[in-house]
Amino acid sequence: MVKKIDDMNFYELLEISPAAGTQDVHRAYDRVRRIYDPNSIALYSLFTPEETARIRLRIEDAYRTLVYEESRKEYNRMLKERNELPEPEPPASKRRPVPAASAPVQRPPGPDRAEYRAAPPQTPPLDDLMAPVAPAAEPAASATTEFNGPAIKALRERAGLTIRNIADMTKIGSRYLEYIEAEHFGKLPARPYLRGFLLLYAQALGCDSERMIADYLKRYEAAKPK
Amino acid sequence: MIEIQDALRKKEIWAIGGGKGGIGKSLITGNVGICLARLKKKVLLVDADLGGANLHTTLGIGVPEMTLSDFLNRRVENIQDVIIKTGVPNLSLISGAQDFLDAANPNFAQKTRLLRHLEAIDVDYILLDLGAGTSFNILDFFLFSDHGILVVLPEPTAIENAYRFIKSAFYRRFRKVVTHQGIKDLIDAAMDQKNTMGIRTPFDLIERVKQMEQEVGEILELEVLKFKPKLIVNQVRTKNDIQIGFSMKSACRKYFGIDLEYLGYVEYDDSVWQSIRSKRPLAVEYPFSRPARCIERIVHNLLRKEQLTASMLF
Repeated sequence: MVKKIDDMNFYELLEISPAAGTQDVHRAYDRVRRIYDPNSIALYSLFTPEETARIRLRIEDAYRTLVYEESRKEYNRMLKERNELPEPEPPASKRRPVPAASAPVQRPPGPDRAEYRAAPPQTPPLDDLMAPVAPAAEPAASATTEFNGPAIKALRERAGLTIRNIADMTKIGSRYLEYIEAEHFGKLPARPYLRGFLLLYAQALGCDSERMIADYLKRYEAAKPK
Repeated sequence: MIEIQDALRKKEIWAIGGGKGGIGKSLITGNVGICLARLKKKVLLVDADLGGANLHTTLGIGVPEMTLSDFLNRRVENIQDVIIKTGVPNLSLISGAQDFLDAANPNFAQKTRLLRHLEAIDVDYILLDLGAGTSFNILDFFLFSDHGILVVLPEPTAIENAYRFIKSAFYRRFRKVVTHQGIKDLIDAAMDQKNTMGIRTPFDLIERVKQMEQEVGEILELEVLKFKPKLIVNQVRTKNDIQIGFSMKSACRKYFGIDLEYLGYVEYDDSVWQSIRSKRPLAVEYPFSRPARCIERIVHNLLRKEQLTASMLF
């Protein structure tokens, strides 16, 4: 709706969606800061110098708040209380009831998962994905069999995630994600890069990254023409 | 894509304005018209720059015998009689050249008669080339059109006038939807930037109107959302100049609360000047020059209802 600058929330101020990633926040800040530069002629006659200065201060505020996870979370909570933040999108809520993809490994909320908080704030906390699972829901496949392409794909589908979702979360091109799942070893990048991809992918799925990397790389090595 | 649009043929009226003079309104109108005509659209250009018409010159046509003022002064009854052919197939023109001195200020009856006749003409697109300034006639043509297009140069003077134009058009539109005399007076007072009531932005105005009558304020808010002028930045020389369009878009969002659609930019090039000197349209004389290509891109954006996005540039 129509809003004054002072009433705009930080996302509106930076012209990004509440789901924007940290990178987008950086980029938007850079862009908006340039627009509201004191010498920007695009503002000529519209805003007084005092108004421009005030807007710039708000932009700085917005950036400082949104760029750090902690303060951003805090801010999102505040927006939610004021009903300004749209509810999480349907795909996100769909994910919730799904039992953790790879429950067998009862990892404590690990350090490597923390990075994930930078992912879109709308997605439910990944802890939900990792919640201890009732033994009944234990997915037989993932616990016993090794992590090969189809197994990873199955895990992803069970978590209600599309390739696109994973690509957004990990910033890995969806093409490579598809290659990983289809085990097109020839098209995958060199081993160290692949290892990085697998690590991110495993974290996105919330499964045991070490096991997944080890299993997958073993298959990768075996298939490699020597 | 174009075939589909043909099937859904409906006439559209585009008005090209911008407040300041000499920013390329006529040039862009003429060449957009030529681009559309080449896409096999039937196009009518109307030189609504009453009192300062030179659209015919950008198209390389001499002074025509019949002009818009003949129609406005009822020397001809049918608007068809003042439509002249241009050298380009599918493109026709109503010139405003050499009109009478009083033609610059048509009265209400003349204006409505013109608009009524324009509605009845069998073409796909009518392009109105508006004059400089923010007089009521110009604003009315702008508001009447389906797409109002603003031209600016990357210069403070042109930008100042463009904002002035948006604001005037905006308040005139407000004024048309309210009936309450008190609110009309308030809008008139708000037009004065130095008004004593502290109304500086449209938001202030809407808030004030809401205090008087809640419902009217909400109607005005809807009007804000419906008002979507389009923007072309002309005579672009650097990448920063292109960026100005995005900056203006953002500033309009924050100041007026409106969505300015950034259609595109036209690069600065001597070919424009040369084509005007040789009195031949740019798109005919230098069809592969950079400005002509830029205009083609703008036409495509218009037809597809798209606009430039910042990511295209970075």
